[in-house]
Amino acid sequence: MSTAALEVINLKKTYQDKVGDSVVEAVKGINFSIKAGTIFGLLGPNGAGKTTIIAAITTLEKPTSGDVLVFGNSVTEKPLLTKRQVGVVHQEVINTGYFSVAEILDFQSGYYGLFKNKERCEYLMHKLSLHEHREKKTRQLSGGMKRRLMIAKALVHSPKLLLLDEPTAGVDVGLRESLWNFVQELKKDGLSILLTTHYLEEAEQLCDQVAIIHKGQLLFNGHSTDVISQYTLKKFTIFLKNGEKKEFEEATKMGLNEVLVKHQIQLSEIQDIKIEEGKLEKAFAKMVAQ
Amino acid sequence: MIIFYTLLRREIKRFAKVVIQTVVSPIVSSALYLLVFGVSLGGSVQLNNGFAYLTFLIPGLMVMGLTNNAFQNSSSSIVTSKFSGDLEDLRVAPIPHYYIVWAMGLGGVFRGSLVAIITGLVGTAFHYAQLGKLIPIEHPFWMLYFFMIGGLTFAFIGIFVAFLARSFDQLSAFTAFVLLPLTYLGGVFISIQNLAPIWQTLSKFNPLFYLINGFRYSMLGQADVDLMTAVGVSLLAAVITFILANYSLAKGSFSRW
Repeated sequence: MSTAALEVINLKKTYQDKVGDSVVEAVKGINFSIKAGTIFGLLGPNGAGKTTIIAAITTLEKPTSGDVLVFGNSVTEKPLLTKRQVGVVHQEVINTGYFSVAEILDFQSGYYGLFKNKERCEYLMHKLSLHEHREKKTRQLSGGMKRRLMIAKALVHSPKLLLLDEPTAGVDVGLRESLWNFVQELKKDGLSILLTTHYLEEAEQLCDQVAIIHKGQLLFNGHSTDVISQYTLKKFTIFLKNGEKKEFEEATKMGLNEVLVKHQIQLSEIQDIKIEEGKLEKAFAKMVAQ
Repeated sequence: MIIFYTLLRREIKRFAKVVIQTVVSPIVSSALYLLVFGVSLGGSVQLNNGFAYLTFLIPGLMVMGLTNNAFQNSSSSIVTSKFSGDLEDLRVAPIPHYYIVWAMGLGGVFRGSLVAIITGLVGTAFHYAQLGKLIPIEHPFWMLYFFMIGGLTFAFIGIFVAFLARSFDQLSAFTAFVLLPLTYLGGVFISIQNLAPIWQTLSKFNPLFYLINGFRYSMLGQADVDLMTAVGVSLLAAVITFILANYSLAKGSFSRW
């Protein structure tokens, strides 16, 4: 019995090109899994295939081949069961024109067979600062509020796996920070989270594991520190007492003592030291460029 | 059951929110039809069945209101959801397709019946003012049957077309080139007996013809086809369109336009 929250097994998705007759391979046989209770970052440039993978998990798109298991159950064989366990925040904002925030959450609860779900909806509206806007229709909400509404919708049925497809795209810094804090809280509550984002620095801080995909292929799957050490260097800037400044770029695993020995610098000569760790963003750019 | 109830509630709330567009506007157009065709021109139209033209026209207009609005309700619900993107919510939630089909179908029956009933009431007022008597309802049970089956059939057609449509133009084309000719050649305004033989033959392949005449029979006790033929054909049309609507959900796109 699998304990993974999500297993993507040799997933392939091809489309017929809308313009020509050629076949586009959006996802080319990708494998990865997410351990229950962790945050997993799915990273890649635009058009890498991230949204297609999320569409396959949520059954919006049927895989060309391969399978997706949610807590051990295939999304193609038992879609009604797996859908109950998954909440999804789509990349594009939904603009339901007719209904208020409270009505939308009420309907969303009903779609999951929950009739008296007021307590949960109230909790989410308070938690996501939507309560004072509960009677507003979506067109009256700001972009940030719409994003929060989408997150509330994804959580009304208390899913075990949350899919966040670029939830902070176009969101201001303050709101982004509060959303990430909320994501951390959800993780503490035991929720498993799959996250796609362009903010790699935040992915580095938040995610227990990251996968980097490019042109439908998996380039890396593991901890962000591994990819950083593999693809970036640590920058040492040493200010000497004689006013001289020395800069060295060394492997991430290398410590200060080793650097000083390597470059024959005595501790007594040093006035100040600045160390810059490699960033996921740099590693990502390098990997994709290769 | 909660899922189905939620979907139906959403459908009804949706058209109730835009009541001017969904209910009042069709009633105004029906009233104009009654005024222009039923009252002004009606006196010069001779029917073989002995009814005044206004009496003949009212059931036809009621069915036109029923079917048009049932179609509009389900198709516009899907199309607006494709634009807004919230159709994706239905796809990612654990909802069996037939729940969506039945909920949208019944939503269409509600809106269509509401428009048809109000059209009937407006028509009755014209009828009383013009002819000094109320319009009869000879067979209320069959009237309810045709309300239900007509509303469902056209709501199912709306689902089928809207799910498979790839643009708003495709939906408009279906309305202009299929729905409108079926309605106008189905006997809303005229009896089949007044048509040339070729049109009489063609009308017999129009499912709306049986629906309109079945409904007319339920009100007036007379129509161009016998009751059981109308019941059978309209039921068959409902079953076929139900299958098509389910097929469109399986094959059509839930993604946003």
